[in-house]
Amino acid sequence: MTGSAELQRFLAHAVELEEEAMTRYQELAEALRAHNNLMVAEFFESMAEEAAKHLAEVREAATDDALPRLAPWEFDWPAEAPESASYEAVHYRMDLRQALELALANERSAGAFYAEFAAATDDEATARLAASYADEEAEHARRLQERLNELPPTSPSQFEDDDPAHSPE
Amino acid sequence: MNAPLKPKDYKSGIKPIWCPGCGHYSVLNAVAKAMAALELSRDDTVLVSGIGCSSRLPAYTDSYGFHGVHGRGLAVAQGLKVARPDLTVITLGGDGDGFSIGGNHFLHACRRNVDITYIVMDNEVYGMTKGQASPTTPIDWDSSKLTPHGPGVRPFKPAAVALATGAPWIARGYSGNPNQIARLLSEAIQHKGFSFLHVLSQCITYCPEQTDWKAIVHEREAEPLTDASEAAALFFAESGFETGLLYHQPRAPWPPQHEQQPASLDDIAERLRV
Ligand SMILES: Cc1ncc(C[n+]2csc(CCOP(=O)(O)OP(=O)(O)O)c2C)c(N)n1
Repeated sequence: MTGSAELQRFLAHAVELEEEAMTRYQELAEALRAHNNLMVAEFFESMAEEAAKHLAEVREAATDDALPRLAPWEFDWPAEAPESASYEAVHYRMDLRQALELALANERSAGAFYAEFAAATDDEATARLAASYADEEAEHARRLQERLNELPPTSPSQFEDDDPAHSPE
Repeated sequence: MNAPLKPKDYKSGIKPIWCPGCGHYSVLNAVAKAMAALELSRDDTVLVSGIGCSSRLPAYTDSYGFHGVHGRGLAVAQGLKVARPDLTVITLGGDGDGFSIGGNHFLHACRRNVDITYIVMDNEVYGMTKGQASPTTPIDWDSSKLTPHGPGVRPFKPAAVALATGAPWIARGYSGNPNQIARLLSEAIQHKGFSFLHVLSQCITYCPEQTDWKAIVHEREAEPLTDASEAAALFFAESGFETGLLYHQPRAPWPPQHEQQPASLDDIAERLRV
Protein backbone atom coordinates (compact mmCIF):
# COMPACT_ATOMS: atom_id res chain seq x y z
CA MET A 1 0.00 0.00 0.00
CA THR A 2 1.40 3.42 -0.91
CA GLY A 3 1.82 6.06 1.74
CA SER A 4 -1.07 8.10 0.47
CA ALA A 5 -3.40 5.09 0.26
CA GLU A 6 -2.50 4.32 3.86
CA LEU A 7 -3.24 7.91 4.83
CA GLN A 8 -6.61 7.75 3.07
CA ARG A 9 -7.43 4.53 4.90
CA PHE A 10 -6.51 6.15 8.19
CA LEU A 11 -8.60 9.24 7.45
CA ALA A 12 -11.58 7.07 6.48
CA HIS A 13 -11.32 5.49 9.93
CA ALA A 14 -10.95 8.86 11.66
CA VAL A 15 -13.99 10.31 9.86
CA GLU A 16 -16.11 7.29 10.79
CA LEU A 17 -14.89 7.31 14.39
CA GLU A 18 -15.69 11.00 14.94
CA GLU A 19 -18.96 10.88 13.02
CA GLU A 20 -20.15 7.86 15.01
CA ALA A 21 -19.14 9.52 18.29
CA MET A 22 -21.03 12.68 17.37
CA THR A 23 -24.15 10.82 16.23
CA ARG A 24 -24.23 8.65 19.35
CA TYR A 25 -23.82 11.64 21.70
CA GLN A 26 -26.62 13.46 19.85
CA GLU A 27 -28.84 10.39 20.08
CA LEU A 28 -28.16 10.01 23.82
CA ALA A 29 -28.70 13.72 24.44
CA GLU A 30 -32.10 13.59 22.73
CA ALA A 31 -33.09 10.46 24.66
CA LEU A 32 -32.06 11.93 28.01
CA ARG A 33 -33.79 15.21 27.23
CA ALA A 34 -36.98 13.28 26.45
CA HIS A 35 -36.59 11.65 29.90
CA ASN A 36 -36.04 15.03 31.55
CA ASN A 37 -32.48 14.28 32.64
CA LEU A 38 -31.37 17.72 31.50
CA MET A 39 -27.96 17.92 33.14
CA VAL A 40 -26.75 14.76 31.43
CA ALA A 41 -28.50 15.73 28.16
CA GLU A 42 -26.59 19.03 28.12
CA PHE A 43 -23.33 17.28 28.84
CA PHE A 44 -23.86 14.85 25.95
CA GLU A 45 -24.78 17.78 23.71
CA SER A 46 -21.44 19.41 24.57
CA MET A 47 -19.64 16.13 23.79
CA ALA A 48 -21.45 15.98 20.41
CA GLU A 49 -20.23 19.51 19.65
CA GLU A 50 -16.70 18.53 20.60
CA ALA A 51 -16.84 15.49 18.29
CA ALA A 52 -18.29 17.69 15.52
CA LYS A 53 -15.29 20.02 15.80
CA HIS A 54 -12.87 17.13 15.57
CA LEU A 55 -14.83 15.69 12.64
CA ALA A 56 -14.54 19.01 10.78
CA GLU A 57 -10.79 18.99 11.41
CA VAL A 58 -10.44 15.43 10.08
CA ARG A 59 -12.59 16.22 7.06
CA GLU A 60 -10.34 19.16 6.26
CA ALA A 61 -7.31 16.89 6.28
CA ALA A 62 -9.20 14.51 4.01
CA THR A 63 -10.19 16.92 1.25
CA ASP A 64 -7.41 15.97 -1.22
CA ASP A 65 -8.75 12.70 -2.42
CA ALA A 66 -11.87 10.64 -2.21
CA LEU A 67 -11.64 8.40 0.86
CA PRO A 68 -12.12 4.67 0.41
CA ARG A 69 -15.77 3.80 0.90
CA LEU A 70 -15.99 1.08 3.53
CA ALA A 71 -19.11 -0.68 4.72
CA PRO A 72 -19.74 -0.16 8.46
CA TRP A 73 -18.48 -3.66 9.23
CA GLU A 74 -15.27 -3.29 7.20
CA PHE A 75 -13.51 -0.92 9.58
CA ASP A 76 -10.62 -2.14 11.72
CA TRP A 77 -12.44 -2.32 15.02
CA PRO A 78 -14.06 -5.41 16.45
CA ALA A 79 -17.55 -4.03 17.08
CA GLU A 80 -18.34 -0.35 17.35
CA ALA A 81 -16.13 2.60 16.49
CA PRO A 82 -13.98 3.19 19.60
CA GLU A 83 -15.45 6.53 20.67
CA SER A 84 -19.12 5.46 20.47
CA ALA A 85 -20.75 5.44 23.89
CA SER A 86 -21.83 1.93 24.79
CA TYR A 87 -25.59 1.43 25.24
CA GLU A 88 -24.92 -0.75 28.31
CA ALA A 89 -23.53 2.23 30.19
CA VAL A 90 -26.58 4.44 29.74
CA HIS A 91 -29.68 4.78 31.91
CA TYR A 92 -32.44 7.36 32.18
CA ARG A 93 -31.46 8.03 35.80
CA MET A 94 -27.70 8.25 35.24
CA ASP A 95 -25.97 11.20 36.88
CA LEU A 96 -23.36 13.61 35.55
CA ARG A 97 -20.53 11.64 37.11
CA GLN A 98 -21.58 8.46 35.29
CA ALA A 99 -21.92 10.41 32.04
CA LEU A 100 -18.43 11.85 32.48
CA GLU A 101 -17.00 8.43 33.25
CA LEU A 102 -18.56 7.09 30.09
CA ALA A 103 -17.19 9.97 28.01
CA LEU A 104 -13.76 9.50 29.60
CA ALA A 105 -13.74 5.81 28.66
CA ASN A 106 -14.69 6.79 25.09
CA GLU A 107 -11.89 9.36 24.81
CA ARG A 108 -9.40 6.82 26.13
CA SER A 109 -10.40 4.14 23.69
CA ALA A 110 -10.31 6.62 20.78
CA GLY A 111 -6.85 7.71 21.95
CA ALA A 112 -5.70 4.10 22.14
CA PHE A 113 -7.00 3.46 18.62
CA TYR A 114 -5.11 6.43 17.18
CA ALA A 115 -1.95 5.55 19.11
CA GLU A 116 -2.07 1.94 17.90
CA PHE A 117 -2.62 3.08 14.32
CA ALA A 118 0.41 5.40 14.64
CA ALA A 119 2.57 2.59 16.01
CA ALA A 120 1.51 0.03 13.41
CA THR A 121 1.86 2.02 10.21
CA ASP A 122 5.01 2.26 8.07
CA ASP A 123 3.85 5.49 6.52
CA GLU A 124 5.41 8.48 8.23
CA ALA A 125 2.74 11.07 7.40
CA THR A 126 0.01 8.72 8.66
CA ALA A 127 1.94 7.99 11.86
CA ARG A 128 2.41 11.71 12.53
CA LEU A 129 -1.27 12.55 12.00
CA ALA A 130 -2.49 9.54 14.00
CA ALA A 131 -0.16 10.44 16.88
CA SER A 132 -1.42 14.04 16.87
CA TYR A 133 -5.03 12.80 17.07
CA ALA A 134 -4.01 10.51 19.94
CA ASP A 135 -2.57 13.56 21.73
CA GLU A 136 -5.80 15.49 21.22
CA GLU A 137 -7.84 12.66 22.69
CA ALA A 138 -5.46 12.50 25.65
CA GLU A 139 -5.99 16.23 26.23
CA HIS A 140 -9.80 15.75 26.12
CA ALA A 141 -9.45 12.89 28.59
CA ARG A 142 -7.34 15.03 30.91
CA ARG A 143 -9.98 17.81 30.91
CA LEU A 144 -12.76 15.31 31.62
CA GLN A 145 -10.75 13.77 34.44
CA GLU A 146 -10.33 17.23 35.99
CA ARG A 147 -14.07 17.81 35.93
CA LEU A 148 -14.67 14.34 37.35
CA ASN A 149 -12.35 15.03 40.28
CA GLU A 150 -14.61 17.86 41.33
CA LEU A 151 -17.85 15.90 41.29
CA PRO A 152 -19.36 14.14 44.32
CA PRO A 153 -19.58 10.34 44.20
CA THR A 154 -22.69 8.77 42.72
CA SER A 155 -25.38 8.31 45.34
CA PRO A 156 -26.07 4.66 46.22
CA SER A 157 -29.78 5.34 45.61
CA GLN A 158 -29.15 6.82 42.17
CA PHE A 159 -31.24 4.21 40.36
CA GLU A 160 -34.09 4.17 42.86
CA ASP A 161 -37.17 5.61 41.24
CA ASP A 162 -40.09 7.00 43.29
CA ASP A 163 -42.31 6.21 40.33
CA PRO A 164 -40.84 2.95 39.05
CA ALA A 165 -41.32 2.01 35.43
CA HIS A 166 -42.63 -1.51 36.12
CA SER A 167 -46.35 -2.09 35.83
CA PRO A 168 -47.83 -1.95 39.35
CA GLU A 169 -50.44 -4.65 38.61
CA MET B 1 -24.32 11.19 -10.48
CA ASN B 2 -25.87 11.86 -7.09
CA ALA B 3 -23.69 11.20 -4.04
CA PRO B 4 -24.67 7.95 -2.35
CA LEU B 5 -27.03 8.35 0.58
CA LYS B 6 -25.59 8.11 4.07
CA PRO B 7 -27.14 6.19 6.95
CA LYS B 8 -28.57 9.43 8.39
CA ASP B 9 -30.46 10.00 5.13
CA TYR B 10 -32.44 6.85 5.87
CA LYS B 11 -33.67 8.22 9.20
CA SER B 12 -36.77 10.38 9.49
CA GLY B 13 -36.91 13.63 11.46
CA ILE B 14 -38.94 11.92 14.17
CA LYS B 15 -36.87 11.33 17.28
CA PRO B 16 -37.23 7.97 19.03
CA ILE B 17 -38.87 8.01 22.45
CA TRP B 18 -37.19 4.79 23.54
CA CYS B 19 -35.45 4.76 26.93
CA PRO B 20 -31.79 5.87 26.89
CA GLY B 21 -29.69 2.71 26.53
CA CYS B 22 -32.44 0.71 24.78
CA GLY B 23 -31.05 -1.86 22.33
CA HIS B 24 -33.65 -0.87 19.74
CA TYR B 25 -31.59 2.27 18.92
CA SER B 26 -28.82 -0.02 17.80
CA VAL B 27 -31.18 -1.89 15.47
CA LEU B 28 -32.42 1.42 14.04
CA ASN B 29 -28.82 2.45 13.36
CA ALA B 30 -28.10 -0.94 11.79
CA VAL B 31 -31.17 -0.69 9.54
CA ALA B 32 -30.05 2.75 8.32
CA LYS B 33 -26.48 1.49 7.79
CA ALA B 34 -27.58 -1.61 5.86
CA MET B 35 -29.92 0.43 3.67
CA ALA B 36 -27.09 2.87 2.90
CA ALA B 37 -24.58 0.07 2.23
CA LEU B 38 -26.96 -1.60 -0.22
CA GLU B 39 -27.93 1.80 -1.66
CA LEU B 40 -31.59 0.87 -1.32
CA SER B 41 -34.09 3.26 -2.80
CA ARG B 42 -36.22 4.81 -0.05
CA ASP B 43 -39.16 4.76 -2.44
CA ASP B 44 -38.92 1.02 -3.06
CA THR B 45 -38.35 -0.17 0.50
CA VAL B 46 -41.10 -0.82 3.00
CA LEU B 47 -40.69 -1.44 6.72
CA VAL B 48 -43.66 -3.21 8.27
CA SER B 49 -44.15 -3.73 12.00
CA GLY B 50 -46.64 -4.83 14.63
CA ILE B 51 -47.04 -3.15 18.02
CA GLY B 52 -44.49 -2.62 20.78
CA CYS B 53 -41.55 -0.34 21.53
CA SER B 54 -39.60 -2.20 18.82
CA SER B 55 -42.44 -1.88 16.34
CA ARG B 56 -42.15 1.91 16.43
CA LEU B 57 -39.01 1.63 14.31
CA PRO B 58 -40.57 2.29 10.86
CA ALA B 59 -41.62 5.78 12.01
CA TYR B 60 -37.97 6.61 12.61
CA THR B 61 -36.87 5.70 9.08
CA ASP B 62 -37.34 7.68 5.91
CA SER B 63 -38.81 4.97 3.69
CA TYR B 64 -42.32 3.63 3.34
CA GLY B 65 -43.64 2.09 6.51
CA PHE B 66 -46.66 0.36 7.91
CA HIS B 67 -47.19 0.29 11.68
CA GLY B 68 -49.64 -2.57 11.78
CA VAL B 69 -51.67 -4.52 14.29
CA HIS B 70 -50.08 -6.43 17.19
CA GLY B 71 -48.48 -9.65 15.88
CA ARG B 72 -49.63 -9.09 12.30
CA GLY B 73 -46.60 -7.44 10.71
CA LEU B 74 -45.69 -10.65 8.91
CA ALA B 75 -49.16 -11.08 7.41
CA VAL B 76 -49.12 -7.55 5.99
CA ALA B 77 -45.52 -7.86 4.79
CA GLN B 78 -46.07 -11.17 2.97
CA GLY B 79 -49.19 -9.84 1.25
CA LEU B 80 -47.30 -6.74 0.19
CA LYS B 81 -44.34 -8.68 -1.21
CA VAL B 82 -46.54 -11.07 -3.17
CA ALA B 83 -48.53 -8.17 -4.64
CA ARG B 84 -45.43 -6.02 -5.30
CA PRO B 85 -42.41 -8.33 -5.77
CA ASP B 86 -40.34 -5.37 -6.94
CA LEU B 87 -40.24 -3.88 -3.40
CA THR B 88 -37.75 -4.67 -0.63
CA VAL B 89 -39.86 -5.63 2.36
CA ILE B 90 -38.49 -5.73 5.91
CA THR B 91 -40.68 -6.71 8.85
CA LEU B 92 -39.79 -5.85 12.44
CA GLY B 93 -41.16 -6.34 15.90
CA GLY B 94 -40.53 -7.62 19.39
CA ASP B 95 -40.50 -11.05 20.99
CA GLY B 96 -43.99 -10.45 22.38
CA ASP B 97 -45.28 -9.30 19.03
CA GLY B 98 -43.64 -12.10 17.03
CA PHE B 99 -43.68 -15.10 19.35
CA SER B 100 -46.84 -14.58 21.48
CA ILE B 101 -49.71 -12.96 19.66
CA GLY B 102 -47.98 -13.28 16.28
CA GLY B 103 -46.56 -16.77 16.90
CA ASN B 104 -48.78 -18.47 14.39
CA HIS B 105 -47.81 -16.03 11.65
CA PHE B 106 -44.16 -16.65 12.49
CA LEU B 107 -44.53 -20.42 11.98
CA HIS B 108 -46.22 -20.04 8.62
CA ALA B 109 -43.94 -17.26 7.39
CA CYS B 110 -40.94 -19.58 7.98
CA ARG B 111 -42.82 -22.37 6.18
CA ARG B 112 -44.10 -20.28 3.28
CA ASN B 113 -40.76 -18.66 2.47
CA VAL B 114 -41.83 -15.38 0.90
CA ASP B 115 -38.81 -13.23 -0.04
CA ILE B 116 -38.88 -10.85 2.94
CA THR B 117 -36.65 -10.20 5.94
CA TYR B 118 -37.94 -10.49 9.50
CA ILE B 119 -36.07 -8.87 12.39
CA VAL B 120 -37.17 -9.74 15.91
CA MET B 121 -35.79 -7.35 18.51
CA ASP B 122 -35.81 -9.73 21.46
CA ASN B 123 -35.55 -8.12 24.92
CA GLU B 124 -37.24 -11.06 26.66
CA VAL B 125 -39.99 -8.79 27.97
CA TYR B 126 -43.09 -6.82 26.97
CA GLY B 127 -41.48 -3.39 27.05
CA MET B 128 -44.27 -1.17 25.86
CA THR B 129 -46.83 -2.45 28.37
CA LYS B 130 -44.41 -1.97 31.28
CA GLY B 131 -42.43 -5.09 31.81
CA GLN B 132 -44.44 -8.32 31.78
CA ALA B 133 -42.95 -11.73 30.92
CA SER B 134 -42.83 -12.71 27.25
CA PRO B 135 -42.27 -16.10 25.55
CA THR B 136 -38.49 -15.67 25.75
CA THR B 137 -38.34 -14.55 29.41
CA PRO B 138 -36.12 -16.77 31.58
CA ILE B 139 -38.12 -19.28 33.65
CA ASP B 140 -37.13 -17.69 36.98
CA TRP B 141 -37.20 -13.96 36.08
CA ASP B 142 -39.04 -12.54 39.09
CA SER B 143 -38.95 -8.80 38.41
CA SER B 144 -42.58 -8.47 37.35
CA LYS B 145 -45.31 -8.31 39.97
CA LEU B 146 -47.48 -10.36 37.64
CA THR B 147 -45.04 -13.30 37.88
CA PRO B 148 -43.38 -12.78 41.27
CA HIS B 149 -41.77 -16.24 41.22
CA GLY B 150 -40.87 -16.06 37.53
CA PRO B 151 -43.09 -17.16 34.64
CA GLY B 152 -42.29 -20.80 35.46
CA VAL B 153 -42.37 -21.74 31.76
CA ARG B 154 -39.47 -22.79 29.59
CA PRO B 155 -38.49 -19.98 27.22
CA PHE B 156 -39.28 -20.29 23.53
CA LYS B 157 -36.26 -21.01 21.29
CA PRO B 158 -36.71 -18.77 18.25
CA ALA B 159 -33.98 -20.28 16.08
CA ALA B 160 -35.11 -23.86 16.77
CA VAL B 161 -38.72 -23.02 15.94
CA ALA B 162 -37.70 -21.15 12.78
CA LEU B 163 -35.65 -24.15 11.66
CA ALA B 164 -38.38 -26.67 12.45
CA THR B 165 -40.91 -24.72 10.43
CA GLY B 166 -38.65 -24.31 7.40
CA ALA B 167 -36.86 -20.96 7.56
CA PRO B 168 -33.98 -21.16 5.06
CA TRP B 169 -31.85 -18.34 6.56
CA ILE B 170 -31.39 -17.90 10.31
CA ALA B 171 -29.01 -15.44 11.97
CA ARG B 172 -28.55 -13.83 15.34
CA GLY B 173 -27.23 -10.37 16.20
CA TYR B 174 -26.75 -8.36 19.38
CA SER B 175 -27.57 -4.73 20.08
CA GLY B 176 -24.07 -4.19 21.47
CA ASN B 177 -22.72 -4.64 17.95
CA PRO B 178 -24.81 -2.62 15.47
CA ASN B 179 -22.24 -3.02 12.70
CA GLN B 180 -22.61 -6.78 12.85
CA ILE B 181 -26.41 -6.40 12.73
CA ALA B 182 -25.98 -4.15 9.68
CA ARG B 183 -23.83 -6.79 7.95
CA LEU B 184 -26.25 -9.60 8.75
CA LEU B 185 -29.17 -7.49 7.66
CA SER B 186 -27.60 -6.62 4.34
CA GLU B 187 -27.01 -10.35 3.73
CA ALA B 188 -30.58 -11.10 4.82
CA ILE B 189 -32.03 -8.58 2.38
CA GLN B 190 -29.96 -10.06 -0.45
CA HIS B 191 -31.01 -13.61 0.40
CA LYS B 192 -33.78 -14.77 -1.95
CA GLY B 193 -36.46 -16.06 0.39
CA PHE B 194 -37.49 -15.62 4.01
CA SER B 195 -34.63 -14.46 6.23
CA PHE B 196 -34.98 -14.46 10.01
CA LEU B 197 -32.68 -12.16 11.97
CA HIS B 198 -33.02 -12.65 15.71
CA VAL B 199 -31.50 -9.71 17.60
CA LEU B 200 -30.76 -9.79 21.33
CA SER B 201 -31.82 -6.21 22.07
CA GLN B 202 -31.41 -5.23 25.69
CA CYS B 203 -34.20 -3.61 27.72
CA ILE B 204 -32.25 -1.44 30.10
CA THR B 205 -35.32 -0.36 32.07
CA TYR B 206 -37.13 -3.62 32.89
CA CYS B 207 -34.21 -6.05 32.56
CA PRO B 208 -31.08 -4.12 33.60
CA GLU B 209 -29.37 -7.47 34.13
CA GLN B 210 -29.21 -7.77 30.33
CA THR B 211 -26.22 -5.42 30.38
CA ASP B 212 -24.34 -8.61 31.34
CA TRP B 213 -24.96 -9.91 27.81
CA LYS B 214 -21.97 -7.89 26.63
CA ALA B 215 -19.66 -10.30 28.45
CA ILE B 216 -21.28 -13.52 27.20
CA VAL B 217 -22.36 -12.80 23.64
CA HIS B 218 -19.81 -14.05 21.12
CA GLU B 219 -19.62 -14.57 17.39
CA ARG B 220 -19.84 -18.14 16.10
CA GLU B 221 -16.62 -18.79 14.25
CA ALA B 222 -17.72 -21.72 12.09
CA GLU B 223 -19.34 -21.48 8.67
CA PRO B 224 -23.15 -21.35 8.69
CA LEU B 225 -24.70 -24.79 8.91
CA THR B 226 -26.43 -26.09 5.81
CA ASP B 227 -27.67 -29.37 7.25
CA ALA B 228 -30.96 -29.07 9.14
CA SER B 229 -30.20 -31.95 11.53
CA GLU B 230 -26.88 -30.39 12.53
CA ALA B 231 -28.60 -27.03 12.95
CA ALA B 232 -31.29 -28.67 15.10
CA ALA B 233 -28.58 -30.14 17.34
CA LEU B 234 -26.99 -26.70 17.64
CA PHE B 235 -30.23 -24.82 18.33
CA PHE B 236 -31.40 -27.26 21.00
CA ALA B 237 -28.13 -27.31 22.88
CA GLU B 238 -26.83 -23.75 22.49
CA SER B 239 -26.90 -20.98 25.08
CA GLY B 240 -28.59 -18.60 22.67
CA PHE B 241 -25.73 -16.12 22.90
CA GLU B 242 -23.87 -17.09 19.73
CA THR B 243 -24.20 -14.56 16.96
CA GLY B 244 -23.65 -14.61 13.21
CA LEU B 245 -25.29 -16.36 10.29
CA LEU B 246 -26.13 -19.72 11.86
CA TYR B 247 -28.04 -21.64 9.20
CA HIS B 248 -28.40 -21.16 5.45
CA GLN B 249 -30.09 -23.63 3.15
CA PRO B 250 -31.75 -21.80 0.26
CA ARG B 251 -34.94 -23.12 -1.28
CA ALA B 252 -37.34 -21.67 -3.83
CA PRO B 253 -39.37 -18.79 -2.42
CA TRP B 254 -43.14 -18.56 -2.56
CA PRO B 255 -45.07 -18.04 -4.79
CA PRO B 256 -43.59 -20.67 -7.11
CA GLN B 257 -42.59 -19.53 -10.57
CA HIS B 258 -44.57 -21.65 -13.04
CA GLU B 259 -42.93 -22.21 -16.38
CA GLN B 260 -46.25 -22.09 -18.12
CA GLN B 261 -47.23 -18.48 -18.62
CA PRO B 262 -50.82 -17.55 -17.82
CA ALA B 263 -52.94 -17.80 -20.95
CA SER B 264 -53.59 -14.57 -22.84
CA LEU B 265 -57.14 -13.41 -23.44
CA ASP B 266 -56.78 -14.39 -27.12
CA ASP B 267 -55.72 -17.93 -26.13
CA ILE B 268 -58.73 -18.26 -23.88
CA ALA B 269 -61.06 -16.95 -26.57
CA GLU B 270 -59.52 -19.43 -29.02
CA ARG B 271 -60.05 -22.31 -26.59
CA LEU B 272 -63.64 -21.36 -25.93
CA ARG B 273 -64.55 -20.92 -29.63
CA VAL B 274 -67.40 -23.21 -30.60
C1 LIG C 1 -54.36 -7.04 20.22
C2 LIG C 1 -53.49 -6.41 21.25
N1 LIG C 1 -53.24 -7.07 22.40
C3 LIG C 1 -52.42 -6.53 23.33
C4 LIG C 1 -51.85 -5.30 23.12
C5 LIG C 1 -50.99 -4.70 24.21
N2 LIG C 1 -49.59 -4.70 23.86
C6 LIG C 1 -48.99 -3.63 23.27
S1 LIG C 1 -47.36 -3.86 23.00
C7 LIG C 1 -47.41 -5.41 23.70
C8 LIG C 1 -46.18 -6.27 23.85
C9 LIG C 1 -44.95 -5.64 23.33
O1 LIG C 1 -43.84 -6.46 23.59
P1 LIG C 1 -42.77 -6.81 22.49
O2 LIG C 1 -43.43 -7.19 21.22
O3 LIG C 1 -41.83 -7.78 23.05
O4 LIG C 1 -42.07 -5.41 22.17
P2 LIG C 1 -41.20 -4.41 23.06
O5 LIG C 1 -42.18 -3.35 23.52
O6 LIG C 1 -40.60 -5.16 24.20
O7 LIG C 1 -40.18 -3.89 22.10
C10 LIG C 1 -48.70 -5.73 24.12
C11 LIG C 1 -49.07 -6.98 24.77
C12 LIG C 1 -52.15 -4.65 21.90
N3 LIG C 1 -51.61 -3.46 21.60
N4 LIG C 1 -52.95 -5.22 20.99
